[in-house]
Amino acid sequence: MVNVFAVPVFFICFRECLECSIIVSVLLAFLKQTLGPDHDAHIRKKLVRQIWWGIGLGVFVCLIIAAGIIGTFYTVGRNAFESAEYIYEGVFSLVAAVIITLMGAALLRVSKLQDKWRVKIAKVLEQKDSIGFGKGKVKQWCEKYAMFLLPFVTVLREGIEAVLFISGVGLGLPATSFPLAVICGLGAGALVGYLIYLGGHRTSLQIFLVASTCFLYLVAAGLFSKGVWDLETNAWVKLAGEGAAEAGAGPGSYDIRQSVWHVGCCTPGSNGDGGWGIFNSLFGWQNSATYGSVISYNLYWLGVIVGFLILGFKERNERYPFQKAKHVATEDNESESSGGVVEKKGAPGAPRAAVREIET
Amino acid sequence: MAILVSRLLFLFSLFLSVAQCVTKTYDFDVSWVSANPDGLKERSVIGINGQWPIPTINVTKGDQLVVNVKNSLGNESTSLHFHGLYQNGTTHMDGPAQVSQCAIMPGSTFTYNFTVDQPGTYWYHSHVRGQYPDGLRGAFIVQDPEDPHKDLYDEEIVLTFSDWYHDHMPDLLASFISIANPSGAEPVPNSALVNETQNLAVKIKPGKTYMFRIINMGAFAAQYIWFEGHTMQVVEVDGVYTEPADAEMIYVTVAQRWSVLVTAKNDTNANFAFVGSMDEDLFDTVPDGLNPNVTGWLVYDDTKEKPAPKEIESFEPFDDFDLVPQDKEELYDHVDYQIQLDMKMDNLDDGANYAFFNDQTYAAPKVPTLYTVLSTGPNATNPEIYGSHTNQFVLDHNQVVEIVLNNDDPGKHPFHLHGHAFQLVHRSADDAGFYDASNHSAFPATPMRRDTILVNPNGNLVLRFRSDNPGVWLFHCHIEWHVASGLIATIIEAPLALQKQLSGKIPQDHQQACRAGNVLMEGNAAGNTVDVLDLQGETSFPSPIPTGFTARGIVALVFSCVAAFVGMGVIGWYGMAPIKAKSG
Repeated sequence: MVNVFAVPVFFICFRECLECSIIVSVLLAFLKQTLGPDHDAHIRKKLVRQIWWGIGLGVFVCLIIAAGIIGTFYTVGRNAFESAEYIYEGVFSLVAAVIITLMGAALLRVSKLQDKWRVKIAKVLEQKDSIGFGKGKVKQWCEKYAMFLLPFVTVLREGIEAVLFISGVGLGLPATSFPLAVICGLGAGALVGYLIYLGGHRTSLQIFLVASTCFLYLVAAGLFSKGVWDLETNAWVKLAGEGAAEAGAGPGSYDIRQSVWHVGCCTPGSNGDGGWGIFNSLFGWQNSATYGSVISYNLYWLGVIVGFLILGFKERNERYPFQKAKHVATEDNESESSGGVVEKKGAPGAPRAAVREIET
Repeated sequence: MAILVSRLLFLFSLFLSVAQCVTKTYDFDVSWVSANPDGLKERSVIGINGQWPIPTINVTKGDQLVVNVKNSLGNESTSLHFHGLYQNGTTHMDGPAQVSQCAIMPGSTFTYNFTVDQPGTYWYHSHVRGQYPDGLRGAFIVQDPEDPHKDLYDEEIVLTFSDWYHDHMPDLLASFISIANPSGAEPVPNSALVNETQNLAVKIKPGKTYMFRIINMGAFAAQYIWFEGHTMQVVEVDGVYTEPADAEMIYVTVAQRWSVLVTAKNDTNANFAFVGSMDEDLFDTVPDGLNPNVTGWLVYDDTKEKPAPKEIESFEPFDDFDLVPQDKEELYDHVDYQIQLDMKMDNLDDGANYAFFNDQTYAAPKVPTLYTVLSTGPNATNPEIYGSHTNQFVLDHNQVVEIVLNNDDPGKHPFHLHGHAFQLVHRSADDAGFYDASNHSAFPATPMRRDTILVNPNGNLVLRFRSDNPGVWLFHCHIEWHVASGLIATIIEAPLALQKQLSGKIPQDHQQACRAGNVLMEGNAAGNTVDVLDLQGETSFPSPIPTGFTARGIVALVFSCVAAFVGMGVIGWYGMAPIKAKSG
């Protein structure tokens, strides 16, 4: 089954597509609200078209990049790096895991993006009214086509994130398992996104986002651990030479000095086949774990926990932990900071407004 | 007058019979010399009296042999084993270190003194860990005035074959038994030698018959040996005369000896090559550029060219199972005691690859096994006192003993028994698996006998001998790499009779050897003289690899799962904040 359908690839495509659909649905809803019946329907249609163009082109470019990257990996890359296969996979897994970690949290604050978009849409409306403001040509063009650029850049970003992730996770999987999984993932993501748009309950949306982000980080933790494991395995294969390859999953296939556990069964397999291969892709399971792979897995979670705690702290208290709270010092500062305060007060407010609007 | 004459005659015949029992003495000063036998690399080798190759020991049946060994190596201990000699009554002269004696330390001397009462082709070599392939191996020929084949040949020529390494054994051993060699791949030799050289020219006269005493003194590689244009007649193997048997090609494992008759052609038109070709099946990988063959020539006319040997399509060697001993000793058809040895190769928790008999590998005891026998009185019949890692079997005196060897490894192994020649009762083909006593081909009525025998890959062997030689005898694979990785069993034959034979008779220099090396001479395998069943302190050894999850593994797995759940909890907390903020 795994040979035609790569489960981890499905999950990743599902999630990334879900993110995109959510962003798209929020954008569309926003447009509907901001450019309401009292605005020019023609302009709204144009902007909506821009959005769809942005999405479509973003997906298209993503697919090209994805095909290019994955195609290269599976042919040239594989052969070119055969002797350094483990180093190649290891470094790639680590880099992909780090990128995912940094970018993954963003979706949990999709509401923050809405404020940005509100400002952008307001600017667009101003632009419509006063064309030829005299700014740079490029900037002018950007602001005119903001509704195209926004979804385009978002989809592109999410898409490349997906490609990196899939490459990292899917390096061990056979290429034939990709197409079906990708198509199903994209389809499922689009469908769920559409349902959310129709249903519109903010809470269930957020729950979906939380669940999918948890899953994302679970996979990223496994990927990180796998990266470290690949590098350690590379060192072992260089040391033991032929003996390591001949040993299969038995003694000699791993460095016993680094071993934390080794079981003869439950191997992920060379192509990530079988149920244990899925375990490997989703959770980083190895039948032969090393100190490196176990410690890196736990350190990764530690890092994620600390990172999210800091982010949460910053949101609540407007500063980083151990940083002094910002005082209102002088008159001048006060006016600036009060401006800041106003804006800050505004920020929590805007989402609430948006939330209410979507709900109605 | 008649009485005087008869007395004189009597004295004269007495003198003659005494003169038959000659004492041959060899003084060997063992030291490093330099040599380059294959022309590819000059290296230091272990020579005797400043020379290498080392001298051939040549005695006549019935002689007393005295070998005075002085160890001038400086950096290694040594010992000598006279391979194939039964050492009846002189097991303490057999040679394996930590079994029959303490190793001879640098600077010490040691004397081997025993009667040679068996004719044939033998060899002598170092029996400390992995040393003899560095050069300490030579031919040992026992002449027999009553040789049943003596009328069949005109002259005898000794041909020793061996493999050759450019590196020294201690370095090769370190890389062989190491975590970086988990599959136990044996080091591949760099070349093959005949009479410690290559391209040997053997001058022969037309029409004469020569007996070639062929000895394989290698560390690892068995050799296919054939003479182009000439058929061999096998007349002796490992000191056992056989009925002459024709062979075009023979397969000689390490440590085996074959004496073959070759009749020279009647004309001198051409010279003929003979080849020793190393069996590359044994090599884990065959390196590029390795020449596995060594060539020599039967030179009829040294003005004519020496032709290069012809390539052959396949190796079709003579099967030594088919030999019939000259004395037609009958099969021992009633067995008193059976030893079953199941051998395999596996890894231990230091990551290195070891060899096992019955799931146990061999590690030398702290007290040489012979001294344990001599110092433990009635307890000597209890196998336990000989240690946990010596694969020991205690035999009673004068019993028919059967060894069933099951080879659970895909490699070929030449097994050697000290102190005896055995009957080869059964040898299975490749991949026959374990021996099945109820289902096997019929045993030969007069089985062939020798002291070093090949077992086929994943096959089995059955050997029988009579325990008529009290002593401590090793049974081991003669591939030096496998000796190092522990493919050794110890047979303690008739320990009580042995005590009667040897107690108090161990020479001074043997005892000095132990003192010089700080080796205990009394007690069980751990040196315990008080409680011989207490083996605490015996040689330690790596443990088997743990299977499944150990405590460490379970802790790691549980901790990781906990970390993941806590992590997801924190993400959830962070993710749900906007909702809380909304409702707050």
